[in-house]
Amino acid sequence: MSSSAACGRLEIKGELNIFTAAELRLQLLEAIATCTELEVDLAHVSEIDSAGLQLMLAAKREAVLRKLTLRFTGHSPAVCDVLELCKLSGQLGDPVLIHSPS
Amino acid sequence: MAKTIMIVDDSASLRQVVAISLKGAGYDVVEACDGKDALSKLDGRKLHLIISDVNMPNMDGISFVKAAKQLPAYKFTPVIMLTTEAGDAMKQQGQAAGAKAWVVKPFQPAQMLSAVAKLVLP
Amino acid sequence: MNLDDALQTFIIEARELLEDMEAALLSIEQNPDDADTINAIFRAAHTIKGSAGLFGFDHVVSFTHVAESVLDKVRNGAIPVTSELVAIFLAVSDHLGNLISGIAAGNEPDAAMQALADELVAKLGSYLGQNAQANSPLPVATEAETPLERENSGGVDSDSWHISLRFGPDVLRNGMDPLSFIRYLSTFGKIVGIFTLADQVPTLSELDPEKSYFGFEIAFQTDADKETIEGAFEFVRDDALIRILPPHSLISEYQRLIEALPQEELRLGEILVRCGTLTQHELDVALNRQADHPSGPAHPLGEVLVDQKVVQPKVVEAALDKQKQVKDAKGAESGLIRVNADNLDDHINLIGELIIASAGANLIAQQTANPELHEAVARLSRLVEEVRDSALTLRMVQIGATFKRFQRVVRDVSADLGKDIRLEISGGDTDLDKTVVEKIGDPLTHLVRNSMDHGIEPVEVRLARGKPAYGTVHLNAYHDSGSIVIEVVDDGGGLKRDRILAKAVERGLIKPEQQLSDQEIHQLIFMPGFSTVEQVSNLSGRGVGMDVVYRNITALRGTVDVDSTEGVGTTMRIRLPLTLAIIDGFLVGVSASSFVVPLDMVVECVELPPEQTGDSQGHDHLNLRGEVLPFIRLKEIFDVPELAPFSPDGDEEDDDTEAGTSRLSGATGLLTEEGAAALAKDPELAFLLNPVSRENVVVVQYAGRRAGLVVDKLMGEFQTVIRPLGEVFNGLEGISGFTILGNGNVALILDVPGLVRRVAGNESRRNGGSGISLQSAKDDGAGRKLIGVGGAQ
Repeated sequence: MSSSAACGRLEIKGELNIFTAAELRLQLLEAIATCTELEVDLAHVSEIDSAGLQLMLAAKREAVLRKLTLRFTGHSPAVCDVLELCKLSGQLGDPVLIHSPS
Repeated sequence: MAKTIMIVDDSASLRQVVAISLKGAGYDVVEACDGKDALSKLDGRKLHLIISDVNMPNMDGISFVKAAKQLPAYKFTPVIMLTTEAGDAMKQQGQAAGAKAWVVKPFQPAQMLSAVAKLVLP
Repeated sequence: MNLDDALQTFIIEARELLEDMEAALLSIEQNPDDADTINAIFRAAHTIKGSAGLFGFDHVVSFTHVAESVLDKVRNGAIPVTSELVAIFLAVSDHLGNLISGIAAGNEPDAAMQALADELVAKLGSYLGQNAQANSPLPVATEAETPLERENSGGVDSDSWHISLRFGPDVLRNGMDPLSFIRYLSTFGKIVGIFTLADQVPTLSELDPEKSYFGFEIAFQTDADKETIEGAFEFVRDDALIRILPPHSLISEYQRLIEALPQEELRLGEILVRCGTLTQHELDVALNRQADHPSGPAHPLGEVLVDQKVVQPKVVEAALDKQKQVKDAKGAESGLIRVNADNLDDHINLIGELIIASAGANLIAQQTANPELHEAVARLSRLVEEVRDSALTLRMVQIGATFKRFQRVVRDVSADLGKDIRLEISGGDTDLDKTVVEKIGDPLTHLVRNSMDHGIEPVEVRLARGKPAYGTVHLNAYHDSGSIVIEVVDDGGGLKRDRILAKAVERGLIKPEQQLSDQEIHQLIFMPGFSTVEQVSNLSGRGVGMDVVYRNITALRGTVDVDSTEGVGTTMRIRLPLTLAIIDGFLVGVSASSFVVPLDMVVECVELPPEQTGDSQGHDHLNLRGEVLPFIRLKEIFDVPELAPFSPDGDEEDDDTEAGTSRLSGATGLLTEEGAAALAKDPELAFLLNPVSRENVVVVQYAGRRAGLVVDKLMGEFQTVIRPLGEVFNGLEGISGFTILGNGNVALILDVPGLVRRVAGNESRRNGGSGISLQSAKDDGAGRKLIGVGGAQ
C-alpha cells in the first residue's frame, strides 16, 4: 500500500472475500482516513464473494459520506464476473473494463 | 485454478467414488480418513469446501469441523456434512459447530456433485 | 483409480466392516451397555449403507437402512440389547455378507435372498414400532407437489420464475456465499433479470465485514420444477428468506410477495418490474389491490426477516467430548499397509532360495582356507537367517481372530442344541503362520462342535454332577518347542472309555483282547468311521467325523491328541508347526543318505551304547540316565542300503573320522559343521576321543514323548526350506518333505511326529503282546505306508 496526503493508492491482491474482509476493511479505513482521493486496484484479485462486494459498496458509501473520491480500477476477471452476475456495476459507478471471455 | 475440496470419511470406497466424481467435474481433491487425519491436513492449503462424514473413528466429523473453524484459514470454509436421515439432534450439534450444509447418506455421485456445485462451482 | 477399483475397495471394506460388526455383536451380549460397541455396530451398518448408495446398490441400501434405524434406537437407549436382538443382527450381518458376495460375483439377489431380506426387515420393523418397511426405498422427503393455480385471468405475462432472496446475517460466517447459490441457478436455467438489494450495506465504518447484507430479486427461466429451484437453496433454507413464484403466477401472489418482503413496497415493486418479472401494469394492479385490502401495519413487513431461525448455539460440549473418546481399531490400523498375500508368498519363496544359495556359499567357503571369506560368509548367513525370521513374522498372524469367530459358532450351535454353552478364549495373541491359520479353521470348528454336541451334557446331568448349568468350551493357544498348541477344552462328560472300546471292537478296529492305554483308546475316536453316538445329530455326527479332522491336521504336519476324564471333561490338543515353509533342521547322515530332523524337536544327541550296536532285534530301547528311551534305526525303517555310492556332503573322509565327529557330538550335544571340520583336521585327536566307529542316537521329543533315532553321522544344524513331496508320495509316514542341500543333494525331512508315534506303537505292541497295534490299524485306515528310500518307491 502506498498513500499520500492527497492521493492514495491501495492494491488488493489475492482473495477479496470473507477470509480477508475484516483485514481489508481496516486497510481501506486507514487509507480513506489519510487521503482525499483513493484508488483501489483490483487487478490482482483472484477470488471475490459477497463479503468482498459488500466491502466495495461500503467503502463507496464511506467515501461519499466523507466526500472523498474512491475509485476501483483494473477489475480483475474474478471481480468483473461477480459484478456481471449481480449487475452491480451501476451501483458502484466505476468504469469496468469488460474482459473478453477468452 | 481448480477449486480444492477435502473429503473426510472413514470409508475408503466412499472417498474414492466421491474423489473420482469430483475430479471428473474439475475439482482438486484432498482425502482424509477421519477427523484427526483431516485436521492434520489443514496445513494452510486453500480449501474451497470440506465434505465430512459425522460418525468416524479417532475424531468424529463434528469435533473436526469445530476444530477446523478455530483455524483462521478455515474459519469460513464451507462444510458439507454427510449424515443419515435419522440425525436431527446430530444436525443441531453440527450447526452449532458451524456446518450448515448436510447431505444425506446414501447418495449418488450426481447428488453429491450438485450439492457441491451449490456452494462451489469448479 | 477408477470406479472398478473403488468397487473392489467397497467389497473389501464391507467385508471388514461385517467382521467388525459380528465381533461387536458377539461381545455386546456380555456388555449390553457398552456405548463403544453399540456405536461400532452402528457405524458398520452406516458406512455400508453410505458406500452402497454411492454405487447404486439400492437393495443393500434399503436393507441396511432398516437395520440402521433400529441400531440408531439401540444407540439412543430406546431399544435394549437382548439376545433376540443380537440374533437378528447376526442374521442381518450374514445376509449383508451374502449381498456383498453377490455384488462381488456380479449377481442380482435371487428370490430366496429377497424372501430372507423381507423376513429380517419384518423382524426389524417390529422394533421400530411400525409395519415392516420391506423394500420400501428410503423415505425420501417427497413433498406432494401443490398444484399450481393456473388461472388465465390474473396471471402475469412473464414466463419466468421469480425468486426473492433475503439472506440472513450469518450466511457468510457459515461459509456460504449467497453468490454461489445464484451461480448454481445458472447451471440449470437462465437468469434473465437480477436485482441486487444492497440497501442494507452500511458505510465502511459501520460495516460488519463478515455479516451478510444482500438480498436478490431474480427472474429465472428454467425447465426445472419448483423442487429443483428450492433445492438450490437447501443449505440456506434456515438462514434465508426464500420465495419462489412459478411463471404466470397470479398477481395476488406477487402482491403477497411485496407485502412479505421487508423492502419499501414501492421500491420492491419497481425492482420486480426492473428484473422483468412484472410489467408496470401488473405492478399497479397489485398495489391497488393492496390498498383495497390493507393487510396494513398490523403485521409489519420487517418482522418476517430471518432472525427467527437463527441457530441457537446450544452447548453440546458434553456430548462431543464423549464422542471424541470413541476409540476404534481403525486407529491401530492406520499404521498398517495391506499386502497381497501372493506377493508375500513369492517373497518367502525367494528367501527360501536365498537360504539354499547361502548354504551353498557356506559350503564352498569351508572348503577354502580363506578366513576372510569364512567371515564374510558367516556374516551373510547370519543376515540371511535374520531376513528369514523377519519374513516369516510377516506371515504370522494372531490366532485371536480365528478364535473370535467361534463366538458365533458356539452361539449358534448352543441355540441349535438347546444347551447353554459359553466360550472362553485365552492365548488369542499367539502367533502362527497365516497359511496354517487358514487351514486350521475347519478342523477346529469340528472339534468345537464335537465338544458341544457330544461333550457338554444336558443341564440335568450337569447339575446332578455338581457342575454349573452352563457348559464351557475353552479355546486356548500357546507356543511349545517350535509348535503352536491349540486346545479345545470342555467341561463336559468326557470320553466314555468303555463305549469307545466296545464300538472299536464292534467295528473291528481292535481286537477284544487288545490292551490299550487310556491315551490310545481316546485316539480311537480319530479312526475312520468311528462314531459312538447312535443318534446322528445334524451337527457333528454327519459322517465327516473326527478322522477328517485327524487327516487335515496331519496334512499340516500336526497332530491331535485327547486328554479326557470321564465325567470331568475333555481336552483336544492340536499341535502344529509354527510355519510350513522353513525350519531349522539338524542334518544327519545314514549311510549315503542325508536326513533332516526339525531342530525344535531335537533334545540331545547321545552315542549308541556299544551293547546296542548291531543288535536291532531284541533291544530297541536304551537306558538314558535311568529312563527307558525307545529308539528306531533310520537305516532299517527307510531301508537305506549299507554301501554308499557317494557321501552326502560330497567328501570322501574315512569312516573313523566321521565316527569321531559323531562321538564328540554325543558328548557335547550338538556339534556344528565347523567344529566337525576342525576336528576332522586333527585325526589324532579324533582317534583319541573316539577310537571305534559308533552309531549315534538323536533324541527327539514330540508332544511329551521322547524317542531315539539311530543314525550314522551327525552333520550339524542346517537351515531348511521345506519342499512338499509330490502327489505320488502323499500320505507317506516318516517323511514330511524334502530339501536341497547347499551342495545340490537332496535330503529328506523326517516326520518326527510320525516316527515318535511309530516308536510308541512299537512299544505298545511289545507291551500288549498283541499282533495288531493301534498304529498299524491306523496306517491301514489312512492308507499310509513307510517308504524305503533305497527301495522301489
